[in-house]
Amino acid sequence: MNQKYQIHPVLKVIFTFSLVILLSFSHNFAFVMTILVYTLFSLSLMKGNQILAILKISLWVSLFTFIILLPSNKYSSVMITVKVFTTVTTINMLPHSTKWSSITGAFKFFNIPDIFILVLDIAIKYIVMLGNHALQLIWALKLRSIGKNRDKYQSLSGIAGNLFIKSVEMSKEMYSAMECRGFNGKYITLEKKRLSMVDLLYMLIHIGIVILFFYIGKIVE
Amino acid sequence: MHIPDNYLSPSTCAVMSAAMVPVWVVSVKKVKKGITKTNIPILGIGAAFSFLLMMLNIPLPGGTTGHAVGGTLLAILSGPYAACISVSIALLIQALLFGDGGILAFGANCFNMAFILPFLGYFIYKFIKDRIPTEKGELFGILIGSYVGLNMAALSTAIIFGIQPILFKNPEGIPLYSPYPLSVSIPAMTIPHLLVAGVVEALFTAAIFSFIKKVSPGMIYQGREQKTKAVYALIVLLICLTPLGLLATGTAWGEWGVDEIKDVISGGNQPLGFTPQGMENGFTFNSILPDYTLSGLPDIAAYILSAVAGTSIFLILFKVIAAFKKETFDKNSKLPSE
Repeated sequence: MNQKYQIHPVLKVIFTFSLVILLSFSHNFAFVMTILVYTLFSLSLMKGNQILAILKISLWVSLFTFIILLPSNKYSSVMITVKVFTTVTTINMLPHSTKWSSITGAFKFFNIPDIFILVLDIAIKYIVMLGNHALQLIWALKLRSIGKNRDKYQSLSGIAGNLFIKSVEMSKEMYSAMECRGFNGKYITLEKKRLSMVDLLYMLIHIGIVILFFYIGKIVE
Repeated sequence: MHIPDNYLSPSTCAVMSAAMVPVWVVSVKKVKKGITKTNIPILGIGAAFSFLLMMLNIPLPGGTTGHAVGGTLLAILSGPYAACISVSIALLIQALLFGDGGILAFGANCFNMAFILPFLGYFIYKFIKDRIPTEKGELFGILIGSYVGLNMAALSTAIIFGIQPILFKNPEGIPLYSPYPLSVSIPAMTIPHLLVAGVVEALFTAAIFSFIKKVSPGMIYQGREQKTKAVYALIVLLICLTPLGLLATGTAWGEWGVDEIKDVISGGNQPLGFTPQGMENGFTFNSILPDYTLSGLPDIAAYILSAVAGTSIFLILFKVIAAFKKETFDKNSKLPSE
């Protein structure tokens, strides 16, 4: 979705999750196909490189699902593959179209405790950083080793231990840095966006989807 | 005009596909050379256009249906080579997802609708436009080009159908595949297209061309204002119009199902009375949305759903292709039509 038509992150988070839940409860092929088409439509509004990044994941996952389900009957293999494709695409579209800070801002709106948001916020950033750090350690080890190393597991535990110590140090440093900048453990959303016409349209579409679910789908057959 | 599977012998399908391979190769090369990264999604819009026009079935005299293709329009907007690719992809999606046109017959369908139609239509348009270099001459060229293009495609389809009973018979002389000879298939295909479908194609082409020329001249002339928003609006309008295609109830000539063909009356007053052998034990492919329907949804909703699905798939496909292509800084590179 274009920057210009940015949909309110709170709405996006609510409806993305509601879509996934409805999808997983639905036994109705027509409903699942409708959602698939809706997802494809919203995907087609995104930029080429974003579409590529999203499709790469969802196509691989669906291919894998399809192969695993091939021995089962035709109905469930198609149905589950379509469900998996749609769910993965929908979920993937959320971070690609919304800034991470807006998503945590949306969590705040749902009264999720600050400590969860803090952990989530830091975890996401640190997964990348620690991954890079681990890679650097492996390279350093490789450059320094001569000949064949039979005890690879020993060095592996060394890397893991080193990484853990490093992460503890880093987290302490970062928390102190955050305190120095005035962070007291509370998350406050600064910008309050007002609902625009696009948001209303988005809400209408998704309420329509919920009605459709109860109209053509049955939760328990 | 979509030939279903098992109407043609496998050897015909192979020959037609082989004939299309060089056309595709040349088209891809030409388009790759001449197109800029920003123009690739326009090919997707073109494919979406053609797809939607083909969904709008029109009732034709004789109880059958027909549709416009928009091949000439695409050829005028983005060059015949780009049109060939766009229509081919539209046909591929139709065959794979909606069961419209056969998988084996894909080559033959492309030959008629993605090769003969856009190239012939475009060259007639160009011929007339170069002779009469006025606004009216251009319009005249569009009307004649698209009319002749569609009818020649219909004629070619009829010939492909018509040679089947001549070439492929069982020992008793009963046709194995499409049962109607040239003397039946040519009038059955061409007369309705000459009278109605060709006129509709010409009118559609002229109307859409004038609309695009007015609101987004950049799509036709280089360096002019390009407003894709209006074109998207046109696509939305076409999507909303597609259920009109449901008003045409008959099955298009040459697109009957295996269960239907026995009772078809064509070329005389007798129903056919038998199901050709090659069709009964032929290749079947079950698409996800067969004939643009979905069990559990009303026909109109399924039709709109199919239209939206098709359009979205084309946009996604061509946006992804554009993402692969490296940015070219040559602002003067032109589409192959110029």
